[in-house]
Amino acid sequence: MTRFVLSRLVSAIPTLFLVSLAVFTLIRLIPGDPVSLMLGDNVDDAAYAAMSHELGLDRPIAVQFLMWLQGAFQGDLGRSITTGEAVLPLVLQRFAITAQLVLVAVALATVLAVPLGMLAAWRQNSAFDLGVVVGATALMSIPTFWMGLMLLLLFGLNLGWLPVLGYVSPFDDFGAGALYLVMPVAALVLHECGILVRMSRASTLDVLRLDYVTHARAKGLTEGQVLRRHVFRNAFGPTWTLLGLILGNLLGGVAVVETVFTIPGLGRLIVESIYGRDYPVLQGCLLFVAFTYVVVNLIVDLCYPLFDPRVKTT
Amino acid sequence: MRLGNRIGASALGIMAALAAGGATAQTLNVQLSSDIRSSRPGVNRDALSDMVALNVAEGLFAVGERGDIVPMLAKSWTVSEDGTTYTFALREGRVFHNGAPVTADLVKQSWEAMLAAPDFNCTGFFDGSRGSAVTGIEAPNAQTVVITLAEPDAMFLKYAAQSQCGGMGVTHPDSFAEDGTWDHPIGTGPFVFADWRRGQNVTLEKFSDYQPLAGEIDGFAGHKEALVETVNLVVTPDRATAVAALRSGDLDVVPYLSTAESAELQEEDGFVVKSAPHGGMITLLMQTEDPVLSSTEMRMAVAKALDVAQLVDVATNGLGTPNASLVPISSLYHSAVHDRGVGYAPGEVPAMLEAAGYDGQELVIQTNRRNPINENVAVLAQAMLQMAGINARIEVLEWATQLDRFRSGSFQMSAFNYSNRADPVLAYSAVVDSKEDRGSSIWDDPRAIELVDETLQTPDGEARQALFDELHELYLEQMPFVMLANNLTVSVNADYVQGYSTWNGFARLWGVSVEK
Amino acid sequence: MNLGRTNKYLGGLLIAFFLLSALLGWLWTPYDPLALDLRARLQAPGAAHWLGTDEYGRDVLSRLMAAARTSVTISALTVSFAVTFGIVLGALSGYARGWIDRAVMLLTDTLLAFPSILLALALLSILGANIWGVILALGLAYMPTVTRVVRGAVMSLREQEFIEASRLMGHPVGYTLRAHVIPNCLAPVIVIATSMFGSVLLTESALSFLGLGVPPPAPTWGNMLAGARPYMSQASWLGIFPGLCIALTLLGINLFGDYVRDRFDPRMKGL
Repeated sequence: MTRFVLSRLVSAIPTLFLVSLAVFTLIRLIPGDPVSLMLGDNVDDAAYAAMSHELGLDRPIAVQFLMWLQGAFQGDLGRSITTGEAVLPLVLQRFAITAQLVLVAVALATVLAVPLGMLAAWRQNSAFDLGVVVGATALMSIPTFWMGLMLLLLFGLNLGWLPVLGYVSPFDDFGAGALYLVMPVAALVLHECGILVRMSRASTLDVLRLDYVTHARAKGLTEGQVLRRHVFRNAFGPTWTLLGLILGNLLGGVAVVETVFTIPGLGRLIVESIYGRDYPVLQGCLLFVAFTYVVVNLIVDLCYPLFDPRVKTT
Repeated sequence: MRLGNRIGASALGIMAALAAGGATAQTLNVQLSSDIRSSRPGVNRDALSDMVALNVAEGLFAVGERGDIVPMLAKSWTVSEDGTTYTFALREGRVFHNGAPVTADLVKQSWEAMLAAPDFNCTGFFDGSRGSAVTGIEAPNAQTVVITLAEPDAMFLKYAAQSQCGGMGVTHPDSFAEDGTWDHPIGTGPFVFADWRRGQNVTLEKFSDYQPLAGEIDGFAGHKEALVETVNLVVTPDRATAVAALRSGDLDVVPYLSTAESAELQEEDGFVVKSAPHGGMITLLMQTEDPVLSSTEMRMAVAKALDVAQLVDVATNGLGTPNASLVPISSLYHSAVHDRGVGYAPGEVPAMLEAAGYDGQELVIQTNRRNPINENVAVLAQAMLQMAGINARIEVLEWATQLDRFRSGSFQMSAFNYSNRADPVLAYSAVVDSKEDRGSSIWDDPRAIELVDETLQTPDGEARQALFDELHELYLEQMPFVMLANNLTVSVNADYVQGYSTWNGFARLWGVSVEK
Repeated sequence: MNLGRTNKYLGGLLIAFFLLSALLGWLWTPYDPLALDLRARLQAPGAAHWLGTDEYGRDVLSRLMAAARTSVTISALTVSFAVTFGIVLGALSGYARGWIDRAVMLLTDTLLAFPSILLALALLSILGANIWGVILALGLAYMPTVTRVVRGAVMSLREQEFIEASRLMGHPVGYTLRAHVIPNCLAPVIVIATSMFGSVLLTESALSFLGLGVPPPAPTWGNMLAGARPYMSQASWLGIFPGLCIALTLLGINLFGDYVRDRFDPRMKGL
């Protein structure tokens, strides 16, 4: 077990390296650079050259990469070009904000969606099933930037129950912080519920058709026992994989939700650093996101045998 | 004050004076569409950083309401006969936010620190490359600052007062931390830079020892009295969220609204929408070295195919006014000559296309989605050009990419906006240059370059007017790009906010009060 | 009450409706979808314009019809790309394990860690702003999801008796994969693919929202939806109609997807 975890972490190093190299190259290949953005329409070629030199952007890309890599190995991810902040603390601070939002949302979505999907599958082709499918599809069809805005207009503006603007960390003030998280969490839950319900329903349908379910029923177990003991355990596998993907994806940033609800999270930082060509911040963020993926996937794989006894963790 | 409300420069002062009588209230919440880059005036800045800097720090002099240069920390100055030595007499009794009195030594230190900063935005204006080099800054006594230039430069004060240079705002040496890095600005302005939570908000507090000058608000100078205890600038990147927050009372002012969103708010009670033109330009650029567009007839055909009045009306949701000249309509120099444009003449287009030898080649218009005006201009121009038989296509780029293409001149046409220019000649110098020297130059013509250089060295007066007139006539002859209108700032505030307006694209926070 | 048939017919009907509109939109639309009419801007749905006009006075119905073709093409190609490569890579990696698995996972994790905006930005600046850039960017962004899900399914399948049997009978790996492994992991793939179809329409919309989607004036449901946001309370029909198109297409595909799975699932054959 420990060996497995260790070997997985070691094998993540090539991924992290590849991600860093790819980001480093791609962002520099895309036209536009931080100095142009700083100067805007007030272009002055001398000032441009001076600033590029100051930021070390006039050196060959390979040299820049090696210098960055050297720093990264020593735990120094450099400083933001736009604001001069040190990248590592910045990324960690923003990640903490995104993580609390995402973990709460995914947990809620799972608790709501998985049983709902199972029930729909259990009563396949009933009005309830159709209702769940239509509802899930409708939720999946609303872009988060619309959903967010609609929540904002309804609960923030028309009903006045929740604050429209700003962010308070729940660690500073739990009550207020939780209040600020309600709408963004709701927007995420509604969106992610759609696909989770459908996945859970589909895998349950698969399992329900297997022989041992028929056997279990024949043995005289109640439907509740069949669902709990036999169906859930076996149907949860694909949903679990998807959950891992969703979690990894969301932890990498929920830029749109963070933008609409003015949450200073990692997603907004990534988007802003792409648009602002803030190379060190983007590199730091993506290195961290790649690392998060590795960890989330590791946890998903480690938990796999819990749901599917046929898979061994070797 | 509702629909179509255009605040003239003179009305501003009156409003401010009325507002000044009101009760002082607590907090003003203002939207910041993105976080500021740094808190240091003129260094690592963008328009929003400038806005914050100009509310906190003040220079020796500042841009006045009509674009003139007026005294600020200096009460007066003299220029030596050869035009190279400026002697400033400091106003007495001014103090920094930390209580230290403003002395000539501290002003000298602040200027020197700015000029020496490697990422100072305006180096080129003071090192001899664009303006005359500053050769010395002296403080012969506590109340006198002497600045010497290598050669006379009629634009020196105007360059230094530009917002992109932070108005050469004077800051106390304690603005730097002990290790020599910048910490936060300790200036002399009506607001103290109190707190900055990155990505979240910037808090400004009223500077209680500020001594407002007598008179009215005058550009970045004049009567600058803080009427609220605290200004909370909230980073709100999404415009729709900002509007919702305005409606819910979480924000009191949204300083920069897209014209589409403003149309909706204009109809509603409880909000005041104001549109203020500034010296920036809304343009459709053409690359004069492009094989197709190098022909003057071709460019003229493009210009005549555009119904500019309608284009500007739709692109700005009825808030903009067409202007054929780079000299803003409000400028002293916008004489009758500058009212003339090429005019919308679709009937003449076919003949001109024929003369240009145009054979249906594709023309690509670059634009972006960041600025709705650029996108509107591109969509409308494309449709109008198509109707006139010019095969135009739109290419939407991400803003940094479009800017990169602009910088290197690699485009055929580009829907591009220039930011506010403090003086009409700076608008011309933004577009006129040799393309060899500057990739972003649009109008590469020897006579135009000569005229701009001359205008830069000519003090205000009739001679300068004549130069501007000739420049405009030359522009109409050569049509190197299509000037559509001056850009504008649309702001909206709740109706309980008194005295707010943007000026030259900037949110002035002094003279603004909240009366709920 | 049995809705199995409803699934099939409702799903089929919705898909047929949008395919036909796409086809019709190619041949004929009530108005030119690109023609501006600046005197008729932001008109509410009415007799002249059934679904109203947008901020440039363009007919919304005509634009939706023209957009159907572009949007359906983008989604279909993106999903095909992601599913094809995802299945191949996922099956290989889950079945072979060892270094192949590690190599595929390396690629997948790298792609997953990339924000699709960055990918889109890079590809669009290399390929130019057109639908191929969007398709490739989204296809690459969606592929890892399929790969991972297929890999997970294959990993649990390969331990089952009938796979073991096929292996023991000396069938080559390719055959075993094709005949036994892939058909048996189609259920989750169909769910993912059908959800993905809609998700692509939305992501294209989000890309447009961020200024990177299919460039105007060409309409797609996504860029119409994104462009409608400033007019949400002033001219809500601008957002509602493209939103409905996306929702109904997605519903049709999901329902039909259920039917397809039931029809082709090997375990259903004996029933």
